[in-house]
Parts: sequence; structure tokens; C-alpha cells
Amino acid sequence: MDLLKIENLNKKYYNKIALKNINLSLEQGKIYGLLGPNGSGKTTLMKVIAGLHNQTSGNVILNHQALSYKTKADISYMPTENFLYESFKVKDAVKFYTDMYSDFQEANAYKILKEINVDTEFKISKLSSGLVGKLKIALALSRNVDLYMLDEPLNGVDVLSRDVIMDLITRSYSETKTFIISTHLVSEIEKILDSVIFLKDGNVELSGDAEELRLSRELSIEGIYKEVFKNA
Amino acid sequence: MLKLIKYEFIKKYKSAIIALIASAVLNLFLFTKGVAGSSIFLVFFPMVMAVVYISDIIKMYSDDLNKRSGYMLFMTPNSGYEIIVSKLITAVIEGLSILLIYFIYVLINGAYIIYISGAEINFNEIIITVDKLVSGSFGFNLAHVFMFLLTALLFLISFITTVYTAMTIRKSIFSEIKFGGFLSFLIFIVLNWAISYVSSEVYNLLTPYYNSFSMSRPTATELVYIMMPINIWSIAQSIILTFFSGYLLENKINL
Repeated sequence: MDLLKIENLNKKYYNKIALKNINLSLEQGKIYGLLGPNGSGKTTLMKVIAGLHNQTSGNVILNHQALSYKTKADISYMPTENFLYESFKVKDAVKFYTDMYSDFQEANAYKILKEINVDTEFKISKLSSGLVGKLKIALALSRNVDLYMLDEPLNGVDVLSRDVIMDLITRSYSETKTFIISTHLVSEIEKILDSVIFLKDGNVELSGDAEELRLSRELSIEGIYKEVFKNA
Repeated sequence: MLKLIKYEFIKKYKSAIIALIASAVLNLFLFTKGVAGSSIFLVFFPMVMAVVYISDIIKMYSDDLNKRSGYMLFMTPNSGYEIIVSKLITAVIEGLSILLIYFIYVLINGAYIIYISGAEINFNEIIITVDKLVSGSFGFNLAHVFMFLLTALLFLISFITTVYTAMTIRKSIFSEIKFGGFLSFLIFIVLNWAISYVSSEVYNLLTPYYNSFSMSRPTATELVYIMMPINIWSIAQSIILTFFSGYLLENKINL
């Protein structure tokens, strides 16, 4: 069943076209890799779906509903930047999510934070980028929604913590949840991907089932990535 | 929406407490300079606070529109209308709180000035003055005061909505143009010019209406009628601009 349908989506800025006629259908219960080099449009696409940017033209339908503030209740988006209020302590950020999202599982958030060694009494401005990354993912995955969008979840995170984050993502997955994960660290993430979408200069250059692409091209997803973007 | 307002205050309560303590310490220090010191505080406090207040309400909205932390707010399932109204209510509560604090300082410093100048507080005289104020023996009464305060409050709300609308236009329709702060200011000027133009046209139409009142010493009832068009205009302007900002936040925003 399609969870997210994107039809003829365009996003233009004054002097730049960020997304060109994107058409995609994302099924429920799958993990999608949104792959592409910097500036390919991955973050813009996620921000449009999350409602932080408005599209220039085209439609985005989530659960048979056009995007609006109401669909934000069905999306858990983790931006790549540190977007958390820096004056907050970690526990304040958890409280904020509890207050703002009826689907947020506070106990689960505390459980994850304990597991990944993030002290809830710490002020966010004092956290290292790795700890901020862990906190952001703990908050995003503690929501119970249909669509999770994680923008570069492994950025700024050390090698050991990457395994922890990958483990958290796979444990959060269920057949009713859909994940879109953008990254340029393809090798780290390809083992959990069901499908891949390669974005190049705002276009969908290639998309499809990860296993089928591996078999048809006799390459790993990372190998296909290098092939697709060799001149990018 | 109450939760949005709650978090606006959570974000700023520490700075507010620091500002309050700093002003109290400064006031205490100026007490040591006698009547002049206390009077200077009462003169300069509202001036400084007006600048601080305007900067703060601009920053409150600007940070959400221009900094990454704005994602925290705009990712939540709240409509653009709820977001802008929550900002507006927060700004009005903040303004009224500053006014209340100033009123308290006036009482404290007033009592102190009376005390050190050796004058005795005559409670009977205070009661008589209040009675005269209520009965209108001064030529104006509490109804007049209430009308002026209401007009000032509505003007404050319309001013804030104009500032916020200018910032919203810049972050939606002109989101990719550089020099954002300057552009917001320019939009604010143009918006004010347009509003002034329309309001002056409206007031021209109302000239015969105003001519029917004694403007030199209006009664409380007359004052209600004199202020009514101004207040209705402020309310209409605030509602239109708030809805326009809400619409832009909902449909055109680019953070």
C-alpha cells in the first residue's frame, strides 16, 4: 500500500531549481535510502515533505491527505542540523516532544537515552555533535508515526555510535512504519535498505528495489552509487 | 496553542528574571542618590524597557523564522494561524507584564520619595482623590482612562501584527533574497505606508462623524464614540494581518 505519493513535484528558488518533476510512490513498511551527493536535493525533498518548505508546484499525498499541518502529526523528521533549543536541557527537549506530539513515547525516549549514554540533565549547548546526533535520533524514533525521515543520521557520529544508531533504527522498524534515510555514507546503511532513490541535481536518477538493483547491475548499492555519481 | 505560549515563556523566563533582578538592583542603588535617583529610574525605566521589549518580541519570532531552532516549532502539528496567534498573545502578555512591573516601581519609588522628603501620607486625601477620579470631578474619570488604555493596547497589538507580517512576508514570498533583516524593515515601512494611506482615506470619510462631537472636553460616552473608529480599525487591521501571516506560514513558508 502506498503511504506517500509524490506527483510532479518541483521546487524552485529564485536562481536555482532544487527539485525537478519528482514522481515517487513509497510503500508502507519499507526502508528507503535517499542517496545522492551534497546539493542533490535530498534535504530539500525531506523538508518539503516535513512542511518546512513549500513546493513550487506538484502534489505530495501522505495517507491520502495533501500535505498540511495535520500531516505533520504522521511524520517524524530528524533534520541533519542541530535544531534543538540550545538553552534546553536534554530532559526539557523530551518534555517538549511529550507536550507537542500525542504519539511521543516518553518512557521509551528515556530508555533509549539511557542506553546510548546521553545524560538527561545535560544542557544541549554543552553536548558534543555526536551526543546531539544521538539525542536527535532518540527523539525522532520515540514517536509512533507512519513515516520517519532521518536526514544524515550518521553525520558527526563516531564509528562505534553508528552501529548503535543503526541498531536503534532496525529495532524501531515495523511493518506499519516507513523510513526514508538520506545519507552519503552508503556502505554503512545499505544492509538495512529495502529500496533506494538516487537523486542527482534535483532529479530522480534511479530508483527501485535494492536487491533487484544489486542483482541486475551485479554491484553493491555503494558500487551503483559510485557509478551513478561518478561525474557529479 | 496554550502549549506554544507556555514554551515561549519557558524559553525566555531566565532572561526575564535576570532583567528583573538587574532593574531592582539598579533601583536600589539609585535609592542611595535620593529623590533624584528614584525619579531618574522612573523616567528611564520605561524608555529602556520599550527598546528591550520591541527587540525581544522581534527576536522571539525572528529566531523561529531564521534559525534552525525554528524547526522545533514548525515541525509540530500546529497550524500557521495557531503559531502566529500564540506569538501575538505572548507578546501582549509580555508587554502587559512590563507595564505592571513599571506600575509596581511607581508605587515603590513614589512611597520612597514621599518617605525621604518627609511628607506624611494622608490616606483621607488619597480616598478623596480616588473618589474624584471615579466621579469625574477632574474633568476625566476611570472610563476615560480605560478607553485610553484600551486604545493603547489595540494599537500595540496592531503594531506587533504589522511587524510580524513584515517578517512573515520576507520569509515566505521573498525567502531567497539576501539581506533579510533589512528587507523585513523595508516591508514593514511599505506595509505601514499602505496602512496609513488606507486609514487616512477612511478617516476622511469619517470627518462629518467627528464634527458632531465636542472634541475639547468630551464626556465618557462621547469618548467611546470618538475612539470607536480608531479601535475598530486597529482590530480589523490586526485580524487581517494575523490571518494573512497565518496563511503565509501555512502555505508559503521556506525555513
